[in-house]
Amino acid sequence: MSDDVAPRAGRGPDTADRKRLTFWGTLSSWTPYRLVVGLATASPRRQFLILAAFPLLWVLTQHLGPMLQMLRVSFTDAYPVAPGVEQHFTLDNYARFFGDYIFWQPFFRTLTFAGVFTFCTLILTYPVAYFLARHVSRKNQMLMLLLLLIPFWVGEIVRTYAIMILLGNTGAVNQLLKWLSLIDRPIPFMYTSFSMGVGIVYLTALYMLLPLYSALEKLPRSYNEAAADLGASAWTRFRRITLPLTLEGISSGCTLVFLISTGFYATPVLLGGPSTTVFAETIAGFFHVAGDEWPTGAAFATIMFVAAIFLTGAFQKLMNSLRKGDTN
Amino acid sequence: MNRGNRILLSCVYWAFVLYVFVPLLLMILMGFKDSKFIGFPIRSWTLDWYTGVFDDAAVPSAFVYSVVIAVLATMISVFVGTWIAVLLEGRKFLGRTAMFGLTVLPALVPGIISAIAFRIYARWLGIEPGMGAIVWAHAVHNVPFVALVVMARLSTLPKSQIEAARDLGADPIIAFLRITLPYLVPAILGASIFCLLLSFDDFVRSFFLGGYEPTLPVLIFAKLRSGMSPEINAIATIALVLTAAIGIWAERFTRRMSKDT
Repeated sequence: MSDDVAPRAGRGPDTADRKRLTFWGTLSSWTPYRLVVGLATASPRRQFLILAAFPLLWVLTQHLGPMLQMLRVSFTDAYPVAPGVEQHFTLDNYARFFGDYIFWQPFFRTLTFAGVFTFCTLILTYPVAYFLARHVSRKNQMLMLLLLLIPFWVGEIVRTYAIMILLGNTGAVNQLLKWLSLIDRPIPFMYTSFSMGVGIVYLTALYMLLPLYSALEKLPRSYNEAAADLGASAWTRFRRITLPLTLEGISSGCTLVFLISTGFYATPVLLGGPSTTVFAETIAGFFHVAGDEWPTGAAFATIMFVAAIFLTGAFQKLMNSLRKGDTN
Repeated sequence: MNRGNRILLSCVYWAFVLYVFVPLLLMILMGFKDSKFIGFPIRSWTLDWYTGVFDDAAVPSAFVYSVVIAVLATMISVFVGTWIAVLLEGRKFLGRTAMFGLTVLPALVPGIISAIAFRIYARWLGIEPGMGAIVWAHAVHNVPFVALVVMARLSTLPKSQIEAARDLGADPIIAFLRITLPYLVPAILGASIFCLLLSFDDFVRSFFLGGYEPTLPVLIFAKLRSGMSPEINAIATIALVLTAAIGIWAERFTRRMSKDT
């Protein structure tokens, strides 16, 4: 049993001062414990299986399980199943989406909005990340990054509400413009795609900033200096060195922000209006009414997930080919 | 290097700081307005909205409910996430990539889809909407964050320490408990605080898996839907101050701890 723990033989002198054995010593000389450990670690293979069993079971049942169950329900005609009713396999839920263009509008709107908002977030945070990574001393970097992290610990709902106060008809922006006599009547920012965009960019900026910052921070400054010595202008240096070498950060930041943006529910409800209904609201609608709409909701959620994964996958492929093209 | 550029970029940075702080500061200010009407300018000030928060029993109870959920969910995520990290870090085995992909899956599924999937799964498992369902959904959702943070820390653990412990007669379990685990403490604490905040702030999962009792974000959402009022500002400000304070404290604390070890 203890053939693989040969080093234990070196523990011999322990017997002399058994009284001073620590908790760990007592534990490791306790027979039941040694039996269990001996059995569990008898071979590297068994040790690995014991280590891997629980995580594997967890990810399969808890991470993958809900997604698979949602997929299964999306192919049924009734869920939750009422007693006495038989559940049938059907494609109707998917046909309902493709057959009725009324659902296409929120669907494509969500994907378009998510794409546009992701791009805005990128444009907004890239200079900030660039400044932090390239122009600030190491010590201040952490402090200045921390300063930006603070608002992001505040919840989604509270930050959405803050945007409502900022953009309302009697909100800060309108009052400021009025005070500057730029406008007479308040501009109706609220309940438009604009207010929704401001809110979503506000909520997701950090998820873009951090990958960009870590990509820029890894980039050796000497590359830029060498290019400058060779006569490259600031713009050329940015276009030929900084941008291509931070494509990885851009790609992961955009993927993250895009996926998060497609999943917002409360923010579009609070900041958007009837003309900006997103697919999340459509999906949620099937869960607020009678239970027999659940399969449709599941099918719609599946469609959206597949579309979002497909788009981000295509985007990453594009970024990868761009990256390879530049190093060749 | 390039002075003009540098000044321009620092302006961009400070403008961004304003952009992330000003909306929250305005929201805090509005909580002190002596009028039921939300909007600027603020002519007279009051603390009544804050004292009112504690008269309405729904707010303190939603707060306690959210905290209890966050603590329970975090305990589960930390346990599972650490275990997964130990399995994945520095080990090569068949299907490791797939295992890693499955581990981070809950963090990548868009909010509404994750909420729907959890709701269907909870129904299938027979978990009633309510505290148990929310704790479970938050725990699953937070596991990837713990796993990633712990994996990053684990990758910096000198292998020689484990080998030394094993040479001195420690079995793998004792070597883990006495060498690996203490080394991971800063990462585990950092991840715990992050999970606590994530869970406390979560709306979409709590909304779809909750029963009749609302968590704090769900309560604020419900109040917002029935109209804006400075009372909401007072509630939101209390939540904001608490989460930001915990975040800052945790940041300093974990930074100091990882420096020491």
